Amino acid sequence: MSTLYRLFLRSQLVRGRIIGLGSLGLLAVCLGFAVGASDGAGPRDGAELVSEYGLALFVPVSVLLFASAVLGDPNEDGTLVYLWLRPVARWKIVAAAVAAALSLCLPLVVLPMALAGALAGGGGLVVGAIASCTLATVSYVGIFTWLGLRVKRALVWGLAYILIWEGFVARAGSTPATLSVRASTRSVLGRISDAPRDFVEVGSIAAVLVPLLAAAVALWLTVRRLASQDVA
Amino acid sequence: MIQVAGVSRWFGDVVAVSDVSFDVGPGVTALLGPNGAGKSTLLRLLCGLTTPSQGTVRVLGANPRGDPSLYRRIGLVPQQEAVFERLTGLAFVALAAELHGLPSPETAAEGALRLVDLDPGDRRPLSTYSKGMRQRVKVAQALVHEPEVVVLDEPLEGLDPRQRLHLIDLFRTLGAEGRCVLVSSHVLDEVERFGSRVLVMAQGRLAAEGDFHDIRELMDDRPHRLRLRTDRPHALAGALVASGAATAVRLEVQDPQSDRTTGSGVLVDTVDVAAFRATVAGAAQQAGARLLELTPLDDDLESVFRYLVAPVPPEPR
Repeated sequence: MSTLYRLFLRSQLVRGRIIGLGSLGLLAVCLGFAVGASDGAGPRDGAELVSEYGLALFVPVSVLLFASAVLGDPNEDGTLVYLWLRPVARWKIVAAAVAAALSLCLPLVVLPMALAGALAGGGGLVVGAIASCTLATVSYVGIFTWLGLRVKRALVWGLAYILIWEGFVARAGSTPATLSVRASTRSVLGRISDAPRDFVEVGSIAAVLVPLLAAAVALWLTVRRLASQDVA
Repeated sequence: MIQVAGVSRWFGDVVAVSDVSFDVGPGVTALLGPNGAGKSTLLRLLCGLTTPSQGTVRVLGANPRGDPSLYRRIGLVPQQEAVFERLTGLAFVALAAELHGLPSPETAAEGALRLVDLDPGDRRPLSTYSKGMRQRVKVAQALVHEPEVVVLDEPLEGLDPRQRLHLIDLFRTLGAEGRCVLVSSHVLDEVERFGSRVLVMAQGRLAAEGDFHDIRELMDDRPHRLRLRTDRPHALAGALVASGAATAVRLEVQDPQSDRTTGSGVLVDTVDVAAFRATVAGAAQQAGARLLELTPLDDDLESVFRYLVAPVPPEPR
């Protein structure tokens, strides 16, 4: 599996993608500094930064770029056949792909947001940013890895999911919010940091379990898809 | 080693493969057909890369779909050119060796690369490789684990003539070792060199299978064409028509500007070559003609292929 992991990791190290996401991370740090340096900035401001920039935009978009490509690119360009036609269990291919995506996404996403949290408020906000962004990254990696294998133009579908489901439908009420990675991780952030109570839309257990469950279901679907789909 | 029974594969309204059945054993078998005949779909079915809409495929006694352990015994050269662009040739083939669980992947990869006349020490990434080099590295990754069944989809495309000959020799050697080598191509000249066993696909159907000389013999609806060279073409043509051995004759007029001697002759169509051969000497004697040469003109693969994939001409009224 380490061979596959190295292959996926290497295929994901695209300079333009790394620079683009590095810039977004840098922007997060700058925003954190700006919030921290503002007169009269309170716990809400720092938490809003992590929530509205990190959990709503930076984390899902970054993970979408990597995770949808990790199996989606070889599927579309036809190189998947060189992995598929080997005596390797399908779950091992998926596990290696997910591990590679996590290896890149976690440092690229969580570290800048932790730093932004430290600059914006520090204390509980740093822990909250690390916990919520890590949970969101794990969940989105599962979801977008499946999406990349399942559909063509996964970026478009992924952005539609982020904007329509996570950004709109999931805010329409408490029930959709329970099924939202964004709402769940925002609740985790709210509980750990000193954010106002209105951050917490989902119960503690559901807030942790729903994103993990979404990732697990997505990974199971990815394995099934990989085993049953036509390969070019 | 390969059994295909009543296999069809359709994609929406498009029928790619229609009710195809055949068995393939050890040795080299050429899968022949024009572009769009369904060759690649059939090869993908054999490797389990897609499922039949109908019918069954067995490779080495097992269903190639959903049994990854079988892939240890199958090697595929896919049609698409894409490879892992950032890897070197050695890394690409070693990756295949490693995923096949070979004990010394790098050593096996070096051997496979040498087999296809590539330098294992070449440190350039595959993105810099020419089309011919890519084809050869694809062949190397398919052979690195010494599979019993080798499936090659247009493996000679993009190769120069010397490389083509080298790979054709390699495939023949693999076949002679008892491996099942199935090679698809739409280039007749290549296929003829693989050997005489062919599967001919046309419009998704298996138009013929077996030795192409035998296939030609069985094609009763197509007259065989032969060229006779003689010193008295008019007389011989008349005698052949009169004997009933020829269904049609045509005199070849020698080009006065040409110094070729093959132009003076008689083209003969006959439905029964054996009967014609038995009759022709007597007819020549009767016409007082010297028979200089008798050459079959459509006993080659190209003629067989042309007849099989072209529509049958209408019956003359």
